[in-house]
Amino acid sequence: MSGGPPKALPSTGPQSLRDMPHPLAGSSSEEAVGGDSTPSPDLLTARSFGDKDLILPNGGTPAGTASPASSSSLLNRLQLDDDMDGETRDLFVTVDDPKKHVCTMETYITYRITTKSTRVEFDLPEYSVRRRYQDFDWLRNKLEESQPTHLIPPLPEKFVVKGVVDRFSEEFVETRRKALDKFLKRITDHPVLSFNEHFNVFLTAKDLNAHKKQGMALLTRVGESVKHVAGGYKLRNRPLEFAAIGEYLDTFALKLGTIDRIAQRIIKEEIEYLVELREYGPVYSTWSALEGELAEPLEGVSACIGNCSTALEELTDDMTEDFLPVLREYILYSDSMKSVLKKRDQVQAEYETKLEAVALKKEERPKVPADVEKCQDRMECFNADLKADMERWQNNKRQDFRQLLMGMADKNIQYYEKCLMAWESIIPLLQEKQEAK
Amino acid sequence: MEQATPDPERLWQPAPLEPLSHPDAGLESMVGEETKGARDEGPGDGTMTENNFSLKKIEISVSEAEKRTGRNAMNMQETYTAYLIETRSVEHNDGQSVLTDSLWRRYYPHIVVPPLPEKRAEFVWHKLSADNMDPDFVERRRIGLENFLLRVASHPILCRDKIFYLFLTQEGNWKETVNETGFQLKADSRLKALNATFRVKNPDKRFIELKHYSDELQSVISHLLRVRARVADRLYGVYKVHGNYGRVFSEWSAIEKEMGDGLQSAGHHMDVYASSIDDILEDEEHYADQLKEYLFYAEALRAVCRKHELMQYDLEMAAQDLASKKQQCEELATGTVRTFSLKGMTTKLFGQETPEQREARIKMLEEQIKEGEQQLKSKNLEGREFVRNAWADIERFKEQKNHDLKEALISYAVMQISMCKKGIQVWTNAKECFSKM
Repeated sequence: MSGGPPKALPSTGPQSLRDMPHPLAGSSSEEAVGGDSTPSPDLLTARSFGDKDLILPNGGTPAGTASPASSSSLLNRLQLDDDMDGETRDLFVTVDDPKKHVCTMETYITYRITTKSTRVEFDLPEYSVRRRYQDFDWLRNKLEESQPTHLIPPLPEKFVVKGVVDRFSEEFVETRRKALDKFLKRITDHPVLSFNEHFNVFLTAKDLNAHKKQGMALLTRVGESVKHVAGGYKLRNRPLEFAAIGEYLDTFALKLGTIDRIAQRIIKEEIEYLVELREYGPVYSTWSALEGELAEPLEGVSACIGNCSTALEELTDDMTEDFLPVLREYILYSDSMKSVLKKRDQVQAEYETKLEAVALKKEERPKVPADVEKCQDRMECFNADLKADMERWQNNKRQDFRQLLMGMADKNIQYYEKCLMAWESIIPLLQEKQEAK
Repeated sequence: MEQATPDPERLWQPAPLEPLSHPDAGLESMVGEETKGARDEGPGDGTMTENNFSLKKIEISVSEAEKRTGRNAMNMQETYTAYLIETRSVEHNDGQSVLTDSLWRRYYPHIVVPPLPEKRAEFVWHKLSADNMDPDFVERRRIGLENFLLRVASHPILCRDKIFYLFLTQEGNWKETVNETGFQLKADSRLKALNATFRVKNPDKRFIELKHYSDELQSVISHLLRVRARVADRLYGVYKVHGNYGRVFSEWSAIEKEMGDGLQSAGHHMDVYASSIDDILEDEEHYADQLKEYLFYAEALRAVCRKHELMQYDLEMAAQDLASKKQQCEELATGTVRTFSLKGMTTKLFGQETPEQREARIKMLEEQIKEGEQQLKSKNLEGREFVRNAWADIERFKEQKNHDLKEALISYAVMQISMCKKGIQVWTNAKECFSKM
């Protein structure tokens, strides 16, 4: 990623991913310079033992290169966003080829993850690994921990609540695959998240499990710091723009919930309609057997209704597999976004509380202590990250829903077209005169 | 207004309209035997003579349904619907007669008599009103009655029925006039005869097959109508639930900026879609009515078969009776007693009868045998006559049925095509709105 010198935000500067402390890393009481939270090169190497595919740390990126992880470079990232869509895209990830694994202890599905990239963070231009749902779950948790100021895309639901669904059925697996693919693509498109080391490991590590065990101890520190921030501060007033986002998300989730219920109801009614059609068509056949001249026309009508029934079944299957899951994903998305908003509130609350505390101290020349400054940094970074992510999210949401709803309209059009063809084709049959009696 | 002829029977002679219990009703005698001199000197509505009362010159329309209250046959107060019947012959605009819907059925034994539309709404899908006063039902019934009258008018034999004529032309209580003909009594006794069960030894195979066919036809059309009503019910549900999208899209559009307009206008199309089902299903009711007519026709077919059986039974009984008398006669003549007779028993108990007595008995029997042979001959003739005429009308009916049902199926297919096209239109419009999101 090329970029000019980062716009100045206090306490940041051009540094490599590995050397730079995350704004939220480290508790305020320790004057940690981020050494604790950032994995040292040694540890990185250790983590990668035996694993040739793991990215080896370099000494540091050449000076002058903006580290994408810093929020200071975020503004650059934003400007470059538009360019990313077309030719400047340098990371491609796909999820496909689901396979069933039967082991003594359990049976599960893995998916093939194919990565193609020219980024320096990747040693090889291409990777192909196999991952299962729990790996995705792990990745998402890591992202939430390590990038708490960003909106992390949702995963499809872990458990199938509605009882009777077979989690090894083709339809279920395909629906899940699409959702997992979408999940990774959203991360890929994110200027910050796509550079996250956990994401990198997920895409490239031959043995992710070994990685998971190793990584835990270190990364919890970051998580700890966030959790520490998260405790015990009450925000008085959410700033207007974030309040607006909160309200928007509330209403949005509500409306999506309603749409989900309506869509489910439509599918249910359509299935019941289908049941009746499947009885209706054959009656014409029964009648046809009684008749002479009318036999062919009646049989024709029976076949026609049969075709319409098949078309209807395809429609309901499509809606179940393609439409409902996307709605649900967005509901989950907006839920997780609301949590991020709350975290932001807490960061702001901490800052304001500490600031007040300072202001209350009777000193001749009150100067803002370093830790309060850190809080301010944290808050401002959070706000910036969140705003940027919201804007991106709004754009993606608009595209996603445009596609989703157009898809729904399309499927209905196709259904009616199939039926139309069936009925039009029997008109000549019905009209033809019997030659001989 | 005075009815000129006190005995309507004299209008046409001989009375070909002896319908029911008299098996000698030879209906083709009707043709050309109407009294040329008979004139209706009724109130200046115009003279209806045989010459005027011909097939092509009658136009019948049923209109103006209105609710009335009156006393029914059991002298109970009831509300009924009265329809206005207008008939027009080319020469004059004949009077109008008003009829009550307790129209009774006219039987021509060898004719497949057109059925009346249903008295009560049956095979209704639940949103459709089962109320006999419901305007849609009244309207459909009006069409059905008109259809019935047109069928009668276009039947080569039935159109000359005097009761039919009275029905069309007589003002006031035409039922009284009809009752004066003693018709009602005959109708009742005929019905009684039909309900009796008996066994026929040598029925005409074709009638057996026809009866079987009419049973099957009735069963399959009933089934079809039942399922169709359920299908209509379900289809209604599918369309109506889509209306909910209209509301929720509208609510959602309120919180969106760029997506708002697209959502709002798409919602409007969903409303259009939901409301379109009412007309669609109303049209389909006409198809159901066409099927119903043939459902009721099945009964008419059965009646003809039944009549044949009656006649055949009558014939067989007469032959059997004759055979037994002949045998008795023979026994008396030769002195051998093989058959049981009361006379024989009493003779045994009380002593032999005198030769004179025996002679008297033989003579009586011989007379009876002569009579019997005459009767058998004429019954045989009638029977064959009936079969011939009946079969002619059945062939006519078959042609009519095939033609009508084909037309019905075509119009049904056309309705379905129209529904599909509307569906494509609405969803295409919606898709366009979504694309502008």
